[in-house]
Amino acid sequence: MDRRQVLKLGIASLAATAAGRALAQGATEVKVGAIFPLSGSNAQIGVDAKHAIETAADIINNVHNIDLPLAKTAGLQGLGGAKIRVIFADHQADPQKGRAEAERLITQDQVCSIIGAYHSSVSATVSQTCERYEIPYVAADSSSPSLHRRGLKYFFRPAAHDEMFSAAMFDFMDEEKKKGQKIETVALFYEDTIFGTDSSNVQRTLAGQRGYKVAADVKYKNNSPSLTSEVQILKNADADVLMPSSYTTDAILLVKTMAELGYKPRNIIAQAAGFSEKTVFDTVGDKLQGMISRASFSLDLAAKRPSIGQVNELYKARSNRDLNDNTSREFTALLVLADAINRAKSAEGPKIAAALAATDLPGDKTIMPWSRVKFGPDGQNPYADPVLIQYIGTKFVTIFPTALAAAPAKWPMNA
Amino acid sequence: MDLALDCFASLAMVQLRGDPRELRAMTSQALLQIFASGLLTGLIYALVAVGLSLIFGLMDIVNFAHGEFLMFAMYATFFLWLLTALDPVLLAPLVVATLFFWGALVYALIVRYAMRAKANIGMVQIFSTFGLGILMQGAAQYLFTPDYRSITSSWFGGKTLSVAGVFLPLPQVFGGAVSILTFAGLYLLMSRTDFGKALEATREDQGAVALVGIDKNRIFALGWGLGGALIGLAGAILAIFNYVHPQVGSTFALTAYVVVALGGFGSIFGALAAGIIVGLVEAAATLVIEPSMKSIGIYALYLAVVFIRPSGMFGRL
Repeated sequence: MDRRQVLKLGIASLAATAAGRALAQGATEVKVGAIFPLSGSNAQIGVDAKHAIETAADIINNVHNIDLPLAKTAGLQGLGGAKIRVIFADHQADPQKGRAEAERLITQDQVCSIIGAYHSSVSATVSQTCERYEIPYVAADSSSPSLHRRGLKYFFRPAAHDEMFSAAMFDFMDEEKKKGQKIETVALFYEDTIFGTDSSNVQRTLAGQRGYKVAADVKYKNNSPSLTSEVQILKNADADVLMPSSYTTDAILLVKTMAELGYKPRNIIAQAAGFSEKTVFDTVGDKLQGMISRASFSLDLAAKRPSIGQVNELYKARSNRDLNDNTSREFTALLVLADAINRAKSAEGPKIAAALAATDLPGDKTIMPWSRVKFGPDGQNPYADPVLIQYIGTKFVTIFPTALAAAPAKWPMNA
Repeated sequence: MDLALDCFASLAMVQLRGDPRELRAMTSQALLQIFASGLLTGLIYALVAVGLSLIFGLMDIVNFAHGEFLMFAMYATFFLWLLTALDPVLLAPLVVATLFFWGALVYALIVRYAMRAKANIGMVQIFSTFGLGILMQGAAQYLFTPDYRSITSSWFGGKTLSVAGVFLPLPQVFGGAVSILTFAGLYLLMSRTDFGKALEATREDQGAVALVGIDKNRIFALGWGLGGALIGLAGAILAIFNYVHPQVGSTFALTAYVVVALGGFGSIFGALAAGIIVGLVEAAATLVIEPSMKSIGIYALYLAVVFIRPSGMFGRL
C-alpha cells in the first residue's frame, strides 16, 4: 500500500465516521451549550462544572430512580424521548472569549440554549449574545444582581443573586446580635471584576441600613502575586466580621497572608466563590475553622431529602468530590432547562424561553434548599432561599436559616 | 523616629486618601510593616526576574515561557516534597539542577533553531518561546490537573517572626536572604570566573569569541541552563508559601517583565534594584490609592524611567 492509498483510506474512514455520527444524531438529540472556564486560573471550577452538568444529563437521558423531574424516564418525553447533548466551551474567564464562544455554539453547533458561566463578567456578555439570537441563557452560578436588571427576555437565573445572599448574611448577624454578641464593624474585601464590586456594593448598602460600621473597604486586583498590603489594611481595621468576595487564587493567598501577618479575623462570612471550593480547604482549611459562607446548597439536607444524597453519589463517582455551592447550581440549571425544553416540546429558542417563564417547580423536586423555582418577569427566581454554612472539622454544616440548620452557629469562629 | 513616622502616616492618610477613619488605624508600626513586606516581596520579585534578565543580556532573547519555567519549578518542588517528604529547602538543589537541564534543553531543542531563522528572526524567537509557554501550561493542566496544590508542612511554611510588632513571615525572610546571596554569588560568578568572563565576552561580540576558542553554542546553552537554574531556585522558594497551579507562572511573570524592563534588560544588578523598588512601590501604593490600582505606581515609575532612560535604570542597550 503506497502513501496515496493510505491517504485515500484515511479520508474514506473519516467520512464514514462523520456520516455515522450524523445518522446517530438524527432528530433525537437536543443540543445545549455550556460555557465555563475550562482552562486558566479557574479551570478546576470548569472541570467540576462539566462533571455536574454531565451528571444532570445522565439523569435526564437515562432511567434513574430519583425523585427529580425527568429522572424516571429516558430522554425528553415531550420530544419523543430525545436525548440532551451538552456541548462545552471554554471562556478562560474572559468576557470577550465568552461572547465569541457563545456565537460559535449558536451559529455552528446550533445549540438551542446555553448554560454558564461562573464568572458574572462572562455571563454578562454571553447572555447578551443569546438575547440577540433569541436563545435562552440560564445563568447557573453567576450571582451578580445587575445581571437580571438589564431587561433581557432570554435571561433566566434559578439560583439566588448576591443581594439575596448578602441579605441572609446580615439577617444572620442581626440574629446573633440579638443573642448578645458584639457585632459592630465589618470589613469588605473584594476583587475588582463585576462579581466583587457588585457584591461589595450590596454589602456596603446593607451595612449602612442595618447599622454596621464599615471598618475597611478593600478592593484588590484579582490574581495578584501578593496581598500583603491589603491584609495589612484589614488587620489595622480589625473588624468584627471580615466579608471576602474572592475567587480561588485570591482566597488561598488571602488566608495564607493573614496567617503570615499574624492576623486572625474574629469572624469570616464569605460570599462563597473561592470559599466554597474543595481546593481552598485542602490547602488552607486548618486556618478557616469556623468560617461561614453563603451557599445555595446544603449537603446535610440529604438526611431529609434522599435525592440530594443520590445525586451526590452520582456526581462523586465522576469527580471524586462532593457537590458544593457551585456544582449543585450547575446541576440544577440543566435540570430546570431540560424540564422547560420537555414542556416546550420544541428545540426553538422562543418556545423554550416561554416554557422557562412558565416554570413552577416545587423546591422538594430539586436538590436545593429552595422553596420553589418560578421566574419573575426579569428572569430571576425569587424563591431561591440562600443558606449559610459553617466549616467545622472537614465539613460544612448548615447553620442558617434556623429552620434548615443542622447545628447552631459557632460564634465567634475562633472561640 | 516614631513621631516622624506617625506624622508621615497622618499626612499620607489625610492628604492622599483623605479618609479620617483609617487615619486612626494607621500607625508607625503599620508603616514599618508595609516597608518590611515590600522589601521582602521585592527581593523575591528580583530573584524571579534575574533569570529572565540574564538570558536576555546574553543573547537578546526574551524568554516568554519564563512564567511557565517558574510554574514547572514549583510543581517539581511540590511533587518531590510529596514523594520524598523532605523539606523543600533540602530539595531546592535538586529543583535547581532539574531546571538547569530544562533550560539547556530548551536552548538546544528550540531556541538554537529559532535563532537560525532567515527572515523575521525577532518574531520567530518570540513565538517559539511563547508557544513553549502555552504548551507547558497545557501539559501541566493535563498531567497535574488544574487543582491548586500547596506544600502543607515545611521548616519555614506558615511560621512568622514578630519583631516589635512587625510580622516577618519566615519563608519570605528565607527567600529574601537566598535572593541576596544569589545576587552576590552571581556577581562573583560573572566577575571572577572564566565562565563569567566567557559569558560577558559572548554577549559583547558573538563573532569575535569564536576566534579565541569559545564555543558560542556551549556558552548559550550554559546561559540558558543558568537562567533556568535561577528560576528553579525562585520556584523552590515560592512553592513554600505560594499555591502551585498551572497558571501560577503568569501571576509572577508580568511583574518579572516589568522588573527586567525597569532595571534595564540584561542588567543583573538592575534586576535586584528594580525588584526591590517594585516591591516597595507596590506596598506603599496601597497607602495612597485603592489596592486594586496598586500596580499603577509601578507602571507610572516604569513610564518615567522609559522617558528619561529608555534602556532602563542600569541597561546598556
